Amino acid sequence: MQEIDTEIKDLIAKVIEKEPDEIDPNARFAEDLGVDSMMALEILAAIEKKYKITIPEEKLMQFTTLNETVKIAKEFLDKKDA
Amino acid sequence: MLEKKVAIVTGGTRGIGREIVLMLAREGADVAFTYLKSGQEAEKLVNEVKGLGRRCLGVAVDVRDFEKAKEFIEKVKNELDGLDILINNAGITKDKAIMLTAKEDWRDVIDTNLGGVYNMTRNAIITFLKQKSGNIVNMTSISGIIGMARQTNYAASKAGVIGFTKSLAREVSAYNIRVNAVAPGFIDTDMTAGLVEKYKGEIEKSIPLGRLGTVTDVAQAVRFLLSDSADFITGQVIIVDGGLSLQL
Repeated sequence: MQEIDTEIKDLIAKVIEKEPDEIDPNARFAEDLGVDSMMALEILAAIEKKYKITIPEEKLMQFTTLNETVKIAKEFLDKKDA
Repeated sequence: MLEKKVAIVTGGTRGIGREIVLMLAREGADVAFTYLKSGQEAEKLVNEVKGLGRRCLGVAVDVRDFEKAKEFIEKVKNELDGLDILINNAGITKDKAIMLTAKEDWRDVIDTNLGGVYNMTRNAIITFLKQKSGNIVNMTSISGIIGMARQTNYAASKAGVIGFTKSLAREVSAYNIRVNAVAPGFIDTDMTAGLVEKYKGEIEKSIPLGRLGTVTDVAQAVRFLLSDSADFITGQVIIVDGGLSLQL
């Protein structure tokens, strides 16, 4: 697991008030972890703040699992570095 | 009071909206406003606001258009560096007896007065949620509270705005976003000019405070809702009607 994966996992854990170990990378946010749309937005906002990136709100619907979230964050981090 | 804040006012070039734009600028906010047709008035107002030392954007936006509302909000955030206040003011009337109210008369009024509130708010709310602060004031009307003959479309739209205001206030309260509404009665503006000319004496007699309202009366209520003095107030409708609705 890369550093960014762990960082985002910690960040999500904080927003949804769970222990990082409780979050399986492929667990579905809504169905398995009880993440609602407002929590998803908080996750997005926390990622934007931490990495100083802007993720369009349309991407919010794709925040479905930890793995998907990391993928999107990386995509926009790469764009920032490019 | 509002230094370093960025505010949007829809329907900003005339009447109540114009006065709110100027009030915000006097209070120190940078202001962006929309207008539909009044390009010349818009230019004049932009200069007036700039003369007060504030930044100002006036953009032609039909609030019925969701995508245009979205583009406008992005432009404001980019050019004025943020967004803190949304005043949903744009509104139209097409007063007719119900039997003469055409489908277009119904749709135009509902889509502008109620749909416009959705279009702007939906596109601004994520910014407010993310920053965990925001202040929304929606202009409704006593027509939406007590009803007015020949205004089924307008009254329905304005009653809708009240339901919208209360529901949204509940939904976003945890994010430090307040949502309130102001309900003017008879205010001396272009919108009421025809009516007022015809029935001025009667209207004034029916208002307990004995006069028509001014745009300043309404802007002051908005100013209060945006101030720290209203920090514990959300989901409310402030009626600014000189007591008119008391009698009914």
